[in-house]
Amino acid sequence: MPSTSPDRRSVLRGAAALGALVAAPGILRAQARELVVGGAAGHKAWVEEIVVPAFERKHGAKVIFEGTRSLVNLEKMQKNRDRPYLSVVQMDDPVMILAVKEGLLDPLTPARVPNLGALVPGTVHMDGMWANYLQPWLGIAYNTEAMRQAPTSWADPYDPRYKGRIIVPSLQNTEGLPNIFAAAALETGKSLDAAQGDAEPGFRKLAALKPNLLTVYTQQPQAYNLLEQGEAWMISSAMSSYALERKAAGAPIALAAPKEGVFAMPSGIAVVKGCPLPDLAFAYVDMLLGAELQQRLVGPTFSLPTNRAVPRPAGLPADLVVHQIDWANVARERDGWIKRWDREMAI
Amino acid sequence: MSAPAAPLTGRVPARRSLSVRPDPVALLALPAFAYLAAAYGWPLLVLLGRSLSGPQGISLTPLAQFLSDPFSWRVIGNTVRTALLVTLVCLLAGYPAAVALARARGAVQGLLLLSVILPLSVGVVVKAYAWQIVLRRDGVVSGLLVGLGIWDAPQRLLFTETGLVIGAANVFLPFMILPIYAVIRQIDPRLAEAAATLGASPLRRFLGVTLPLTLPGIVSGIAFVFSLAVSMYVVPSLVIGDRFQTLATLTGRAFLFMRDEQLGSTTAVLLLAVAVAVVVGSTALARRLGGGGQS
Repeated sequence: MPSTSPDRRSVLRGAAALGALVAAPGILRAQARELVVGGAAGHKAWVEEIVVPAFERKHGAKVIFEGTRSLVNLEKMQKNRDRPYLSVVQMDDPVMILAVKEGLLDPLTPARVPNLGALVPGTVHMDGMWANYLQPWLGIAYNTEAMRQAPTSWADPYDPRYKGRIIVPSLQNTEGLPNIFAAAALETGKSLDAAQGDAEPGFRKLAALKPNLLTVYTQQPQAYNLLEQGEAWMISSAMSSYALERKAAGAPIALAAPKEGVFAMPSGIAVVKGCPLPDLAFAYVDMLLGAELQQRLVGPTFSLPTNRAVPRPAGLPADLVVHQIDWANVARERDGWIKRWDREMAI
Repeated sequence: MSAPAAPLTGRVPARRSLSVRPDPVALLALPAFAYLAAAYGWPLLVLLGRSLSGPQGISLTPLAQFLSDPFSWRVIGNTVRTALLVTLVCLLAGYPAAVALARARGAVQGLLLLSVILPLSVGVVVKAYAWQIVLRRDGVVSGLLVGLGIWDAPQRLLFTETGLVIGAANVFLPFMILPIYAVIRQIDPRLAEAAATLGASPLRRFLGVTLPLTLPGIVSGIAFVFSLAVSMYVVPSLVIGDRFQTLATLTGRAFLFMRDEQLGSTTAVLLLAVAVAVVVGSTALARRLGGGGQS
């Protein structure tokens, strides 16, 4: 009669089997050459539908996309600094700056990423530490039923006609930053690029916006609810990747590009220092910076391409100026701005 | 047979002097106590430690710095004022409801109880979103007030302090009604009848008999609602927004966004201090008033 109590041999056998089971994913991964990419959860759909199949066809390697948030990716890189398992990260520029400060990134060079040379100016940062593969842009979203004419300038939200009808993002949301720069430019008459250096006049000007403010949002869906239902007439500034998606879904809103120009939002891509499969990692970055893939991505992501060879999506003025945000400056000043914003914009 | 006798003889003196050896029944509280100590007490101590530690060891500098800023007092004012107003609205609306609930019989009482308890199962986010629609310029409240001729033109209550108080009072009302109801239910109705036979007017009966007897319920209701309202996070975030900072929203922002643990733990400890002060204060008040009522 077989004994039911485990003897030493069966315990050892079980342990070995368990060990093999635990190690199996690692072994399989090594065999199939799997490239692990960390990015935003919201990007998962287009990465897995468009980018991954194209990459797997071309390079014969599998791609695993871990969609979380920029700060989570940063933490994954910090925790696994000695044995990274992520090869590529797609994160917001402000978080990229933190990753550079911690020495977590391997710089992109024209030799390993030939498409670097094909990008528009201002999209390669900190000596090639990361590059922007796409740029959602920031303009003014408006309700097309409440407003017969589209807003044309960053000054429009200040018009007394719009008392209580304007929504702006909180400064803790990255898309809220242009309001300071636009206000500083309006107050000083400088260009949107030059005005970024000094926020002081911007805050002075923003005080004039207060009577027009319906609210300051931290939750994007809430703000768009109010805009679509006509309680709010404008959201300044609004992200193309969100506003145009809602418009495409049939919401009575549109996104205007002010005559002073729009701002580019950061969608950065970088290679993790000491990562597995570095050659494939650089190839993945090169592919996302390439014209062929960007051409296919600008539609579904409602974003601007960064490769010079790719035309801008239809519906944008040909002479549209796209301003880059000085992220190093933002990283230095942002906490101070938020504190001041809380005080001066309070009800 | 001496073995069982030994613990027995040992137990008898222990019962007489509890300070030496506690009743073993008290051990039943151990799991709950251990859980709270690990999941609540310890993190709280860490938080307290952080709020009191500066670069050079223990110091009150962060707290003093925070309190020397007029904006901080505005935030504290926002927090306490809205919590007090919410508590007041809940008390004024909840007390009569609790009386009606206690007096009702049969199916009516069941229905009333259900209507108090059922809203608790609706998530606070859902309620906050609903209030956003109700409080809009073209919302139900504005339409009603214009229709009744109270307002000349539609107005927006959304993103105003009034709107916040109305919305929050709705969320926390059951926490006022239920404790008061529990107390009223146990009051002997003959007490008020006795007062009536002695010629007391309805107002006198209420002020002299019912109200003092229900004070313990009122106080626990106030303690519940105030401590919930003083620390609410979701309702202000959605109903009044970023321009109205309270200690709770500032704490959330400090930890989640600005990664300023110093500021976050300072505001969290202050929030806790305010809540504890009010709860302890109201309980002490209740004991004094309740003692007077019973004598």
